[in-house]
Amino acid sequence: MALRLRLSVFFIQVMLVSLMANGTPIDKTISGVVYGDGEPLIGATIAIKGTSKGTITDIDGKFELSGIPEDAEMLVISYTGYTPIEMEIGNTTFFEVTLDASNIILDEVVVTSFGIERSKKALGYAVQDVDAAELVESRSSNVVNSLSGRVAGVQIAAANVPGGGSQVTIRGNSSILGNNQPLYVIDGVPMEGDFAAPIDGADENNVYGGGISEISPDNIASITVLKGPNAAALYGERGSNGVILVTTKDGSGVQGLQVEYNTNVTYEKPFVVPEFQDIYGGGNGYVTWYADGRNGGITDPLAIEQFQAAYGTSYPLGGTAGVDESWGAPMDGRLVRHWWSGEEVAPLVPVPDSWENLWETGSTKTHNVAISSNYGDGNIRFSLGRLDQKGIFYNNDFRRTNFRVNVNHKLADNVRMKVSSEYIKSGSDNRQQPALWEPQTWHHRHDDWGLLKDYKDFMDVHITRPDDEYPYANWQHSFALNRFYEQEVLTRANDKDRFVGNISLTYDITPGLDLLVRGGTDVWTDTRISVTRNERIKSGDARTQAYNENVVRRQETNFDAILTFDKYLTKDISLTAFAGGAYRSNYYKQNYIGVNDVTINGLYNVANNASTNTNRSAIGQYETQSVFGSVSVGYKSYLYLDVTARNDWSSTLPIENNSYFYPSVSLSTVLTEAFNIESKFLSYAKLRASVAEVGSATDPYQLQQVFIPQDPWNSTTPVFSQNSVIANSGLKPQQTSSYEVGAEMRFLNGRIGFDLSYYSQTTTDQIIPLAVSPTTGYPEVLINAGEMNNRGIEASIYGTVLKSNSGLNWDVAFNFAKNQSEVVELFTDANGNTLESIVLHSRRGLSLEARVGQPYGTLYGSAYARVPDGEFAGQVIFEDGIAQQESSLQQIGNVTPDWLGGFTSNLSYKGFSLSFHIDAKIGGDLSDESSSTGMQTGIYPITALGREEGVIGVGVKNVGSAENPVYVPNDVVADTKAVTRMLSVRSVNEGAIFEASYVKLRELSVSYSLPSKILGASKFIKGAKLSIVGRNVAMLYNTHSQIDPELNLYGGNLQGALNYVTLPSTRSVGFNLNLTF
Amino acid sequence: MNINNIKLSAWTFLVLLIGASACTDGFEELNTNPNDPVSVPADVIFPYGIREAVDRIHGHRTRLERLGLDGGMLWVQYFARNQYTNEGDTYNPDASMRNNNWKGFYNESLINLQTVIDITGDPESEAYNENFQAAGIVMREYLFSVITDTWGAIPYTEALEGSKSGNLVPAYDSQESIYASMLEKLKTAAEMFDPSGGAIRGDILFGGDVTRWQKFANSLRLRLANRQAAKKPAEASKVFGEILGDPSTYPVFTSNDDFALLGHESRLNDNNNNAWHEIMVVDGREDWSVSNTLIAAMTDGEGNATDPRITVYAEPAATGEMAGKLVGAINGLPEAIASVYINAASRPGKWFSQEKAPFFIMTYSELLFVLAEAALDGDYTNGLSAKEYLDMAVEASFDQYDLTIPEGYTAALVADKETIMTEKWKAMFSQGLEAWTEYRRTGFPTLPEADTRSIFENNGQVPTRLRYPELEYSLNAANLDAAVGLNGGPDDKLTKLWWAE
Repeated sequence: MALRLRLSVFFIQVMLVSLMANGTPIDKTISGVVYGDGEPLIGATIAIKGTSKGTITDIDGKFELSGIPEDAEMLVISYTGYTPIEMEIGNTTFFEVTLDASNIILDEVVVTSFGIERSKKALGYAVQDVDAAELVESRSSNVVNSLSGRVAGVQIAAANVPGGGSQVTIRGNSSILGNNQPLYVIDGVPMEGDFAAPIDGADENNVYGGGISEISPDNIASITVLKGPNAAALYGERGSNGVILVTTKDGSGVQGLQVEYNTNVTYEKPFVVPEFQDIYGGGNGYVTWYADGRNGGITDPLAIEQFQAAYGTSYPLGGTAGVDESWGAPMDGRLVRHWWSGEEVAPLVPVPDSWENLWETGSTKTHNVAISSNYGDGNIRFSLGRLDQKGIFYNNDFRRTNFRVNVNHKLADNVRMKVSSEYIKSGSDNRQQPALWEPQTWHHRHDDWGLLKDYKDFMDVHITRPDDEYPYANWQHSFALNRFYEQEVLTRANDKDRFVGNISLTYDITPGLDLLVRGGTDVWTDTRISVTRNERIKSGDARTQAYNENVVRRQETNFDAILTFDKYLTKDISLTAFAGGAYRSNYYKQNYIGVNDVTINGLYNVANNASTNTNRSAIGQYETQSVFGSVSVGYKSYLYLDVTARNDWSSTLPIENNSYFYPSVSLSTVLTEAFNIESKFLSYAKLRASVAEVGSATDPYQLQQVFIPQDPWNSTTPVFSQNSVIANSGLKPQQTSSYEVGAEMRFLNGRIGFDLSYYSQTTTDQIIPLAVSPTTGYPEVLINAGEMNNRGIEASIYGTVLKSNSGLNWDVAFNFAKNQSEVVELFTDANGNTLESIVLHSRRGLSLEARVGQPYGTLYGSAYARVPDGEFAGQVIFEDGIAQQESSLQQIGNVTPDWLGGFTSNLSYKGFSLSFHIDAKIGGDLSDESSSTGMQTGIYPITALGREEGVIGVGVKNVGSAENPVYVPNDVVADTKAVTRMLSVRSVNEGAIFEASYVKLRELSVSYSLPSKILGASKFIKGAKLSIVGRNVAMLYNTHSQIDPELNLYGGNLQGALNYVTLPSTRSVGFNLNLTF
Repeated sequence: MNINNIKLSAWTFLVLLIGASACTDGFEELNTNPNDPVSVPADVIFPYGIREAVDRIHGHRTRLERLGLDGGMLWVQYFARNQYTNEGDTYNPDASMRNNNWKGFYNESLINLQTVIDITGDPESEAYNENFQAAGIVMREYLFSVITDTWGAIPYTEALEGSKSGNLVPAYDSQESIYASMLEKLKTAAEMFDPSGGAIRGDILFGGDVTRWQKFANSLRLRLANRQAAKKPAEASKVFGEILGDPSTYPVFTSNDDFALLGHESRLNDNNNNAWHEIMVVDGREDWSVSNTLIAAMTDGEGNATDPRITVYAEPAATGEMAGKLVGAINGLPEAIASVYINAASRPGKWFSQEKAPFFIMTYSELLFVLAEAALDGDYTNGLSAKEYLDMAVEASFDQYDLTIPEGYTAALVADKETIMTEKWKAMFSQGLEAWTEYRRTGFPTLPEADTRSIFENNGQVPTRLRYPELEYSLNAANLDAAVGLNGGPDDKLTKLWWAE
């Protein structure tokens, strides 16, 4: 087939309009019907070539066209996704046309800024879209998680708690301390943000979920990712981190009335199971003995007798109940006291399943019913969905009900109205993210984690001190709560209502000139009640419950008006232009009441307070007003120039700096079209380039020095203090400038193709609170400083490996992205002193930093002493058998991965299909405090080696002098505990640094669609598809066997780089059933 | 569709655009903080400045930052740690102690005290109030004295100007010059007080009692004058003469009823509370035992009190061979050995961890010890003898706890330096930071030889000061380098401060 590019439906209409004046109408009428894949096509375009005349097919695929000019020769029939065809009119009056599904969808239409559809080939920047069908079967309850590995350059760290939000970065982090999350846009209107930086009411997104995590995947038609400032230039400040455009399903794709039911049920278990040693029990010094839950001696005569029967008389009479480590007695069946045996003794034996006993089987169940109707003048879709999620840890849940309505209605011939709205009710009885540090670090190997759940059965048995009254039995009482008790009574419940929607009206003023007026809002209110104390947990005063009620409301409202102009200026030059204005307002309100002591336990009314409550409230309001415009000029459908411009006025900046302008320019050319290449091998080739600039404002109320309320003294004396940041009344907007170049090529009739991009973006004038000497009176001053650069390549390769007439089809796609980030500069003062680093987060002396000259996310801390050069270069230096530490702090890792990749495969044969998706992150480090600390607490297999004989650490020792060292392999036998202790982050920070690489079989699904022959008999069911699905099916490669390196424990701009035991990620297996009626 | 409609639409659209860009007028108002005020009366800031200062000097709830509890109280061997002995007891406090207290003193207290002074000291303002301003100055100078006594040279003259002058790198002043200035400013403040003048509101220290502020200001001046007496005898002697020679102009503490203490209120939350109650009762930390050094000095060695005050300072041991008796724990032991003392040694006296137990900023007894020392050293010769002051000081100390002084207790005392300072140490129990300063100044009390099992760092020497915080090294390096020179020795815990005798 001679490859000729076709204009999109859109452009055809435009062209027709522009040529309106040319034809001479006569009274001739033609009609016909258009089919595709054996079904009538609704909305296919029938145009008379060379005239303005055209129409579209109705619900039955039929069309009728009158007033055909006499000189009309050809009909052009086209439909998105199908190869258009031309037919000679001649004397024919009825046309029956069957279109072929395009091998290559050359005229792909993608959604761009403001929901405006553009022909993909006209775009001078990278966009990548994902069809929702891929997201629904092997779903994650947070739809954005499904983009991991599917869209090049998108990095996702998923939360592990039910309903938790994810951290998403596109093309790396560009802001040092600000928000690096992309903007989510639903049907053209932005959602209230997913924030990386904790701000009032929106922190803890990793636990409470964010915006996108609440949108039901069942309602999503497609997701388009605009990757950088170039693509998002028109979205303004919030587009600088990329934009995720979500298009929801409407009723346009159905015929008549359709009812669709989808259910997805999956069960979850921990994905990565750590390995522990099962030789030595809890305690210290080869002794394991429960005394009274705390440290202390054994004085009771019976206990002494029992103790000496187990240990003889040479061991000191001491309990190990207060020691949370596992350096105790060999688990050889000797009789010792346990927390659950009380004054009796019981055999000390290993419990290899202890860790697994901690967990329950989680479940995620969704049901969704959608009713769609497509009637002549429009269409409507209603959807009702319910999600019930149960976490893998006791009493941890999430539920969500989504109502969605999409209406698309033609009010008059030239006026269309659209409504896109979703009401989401969600909540949980307990959505806390327990800090389960003990099961993976500080614990007794002989204790069964599962048994602790039955603590009530042991209340009479466990031994305590006379003045201690514990509300639970536990393996110890010095440091650890019983997590089951905590999970049961210290609950964090919430109840959230969210409405997100927009209404738009499009008015076709004349052909080629449209006015869109749109208003949308995203408003939510969340009531969170968290019990922080149930009763007195340790010795001391008797206490009642304490809890807090946090009511948060946030809202974002957007209004915009856009005038769009589309016209062929000449036969060869097309013009698409739009100009508009937008108004955005954001509002938040927080009311927090902490009840420090209740009168009656279990009554969560803030008036039920025995002491003064802690009150806090906050309001945040800001506005952005914008004007923007875009001009795209196309020459002969192969050369496109786009120019965009936007000016924002932000209320958060000083008057003199609150207006900022930013432009973008992009160019794309379709080489195959330009040079008329008609080759069987090369089907399509396009080059593109663009440059863009984006400005961003800041949070409200940063310009004035204020006083902040503190807890009152004696509840009667109000207390305020100076705010800890020196305000800056001269702030400027942050600027991000970027360029990108790309190429897209397809071969062999489009069976295979690739898309390649290179980009570089630099963010300057970042608004950061700069640490200053506290002696100024303040720890920080707000300034504009800092420059970060991100550059990289993205590639996606796709192809059809097999395609046969028998129905066998095999498609594969591969994505690859490599981002290099660099903190170019932070701050230089008037004297030329430069700031070298900004600490983003710090734990145990190990900090995550933005360090000049390094990629964002340097891990910095104490390091092992290593041989600088020579034969043993890089080896750890030991002294007396113990690893040594470098005296100065050093860079010990960086979180930035080397590359991200993904591979998807879809194999189908008739009704069967097999799909899988592999997701890879290679390189980059993380700090895992848990498995590192476990080296000190004696729970991992390596710590059981040579406990009695000692071990030799791998490294070298110095047999020369300090000045002239001579290194030889270390051969000194040292105590195991002393050797493995040095692997703990508490000894040397570097002990916690691990490579965070992984390759996961992320999704797997096998499905079968019932053939229409079988269903045809019933006439009731039109389609049925059953899939067996799995998510996080297998870890194909990782470098740290104890954890899943994909973590989002702390949220924020950290990408899970610091971990101290969160809930494990899960493997889920289940089924998906889809029925259409 | 006709041409008029296009015009109409375009016009509507233009209106929308203009409407959008014309509305920025309200931005300034919109961006005015509705949550936090840009100005507040001094009476709501003053309590914060006082509360946070006392909290840090006395204890502080946050682990590793307890300057009073894990610094002073351990280093003069009132207490010994029975677990986590490396958190202060081995003379190697965590970096958080120097960083976060530095930060806390300047950012929580000093800046707010300075704000009080700025608000009440502006003659143009309605808030102008000399009494209030003077109270702010006294509190600020008191805190500066604690800071300089902890580190040596510190930013003083150029400090606290960040939001005013924009000086983000304040220079350091030598301790000597700071002492001169503190004494000067305290004198000025003391003279500003006028019982018939403006009210001091938000005064959680003295409830607005101007006379008590005067007494505190003057007594504090005597403390500081005495502290520098060995280095500046003439100046010190002048201060003693001036204050004690004119009691009506310069009143000082006269009994246990008028000295400086912060009385805590009922525990409503941790910010209203006695820090020790917060740590030892609410948080249930059991990490401290009473040091054997104090027990040895106040008992017969067999667990019986010879000095009744020890029965307030320490609880009887709960377990062990000497259960029910007063048993001391050894300082600086390794973790494993120290932990035997958890229940087998005396825990801190419950009097001090009561919900409302006060923190003593400066007691009447301390003032009398200052006078005893001044009399002994000849800095003040117009009053009573050193022995008389010493006896009164010890009596005041017993009286402070409503205890009867044992027969013949004062008779056995000789008014020499070591006795005065050792008795002062016994009397200053719970004021760890001040006792540490007095030890560093005079070398008394004589601490026992380290136990052979102890693992003291810092060459086995009691820290002479805290190291400068890492914060300053990264944020104010040039000035810090100069400051290290001002202290006359490297930035370590062995360089002696200026007033060391």
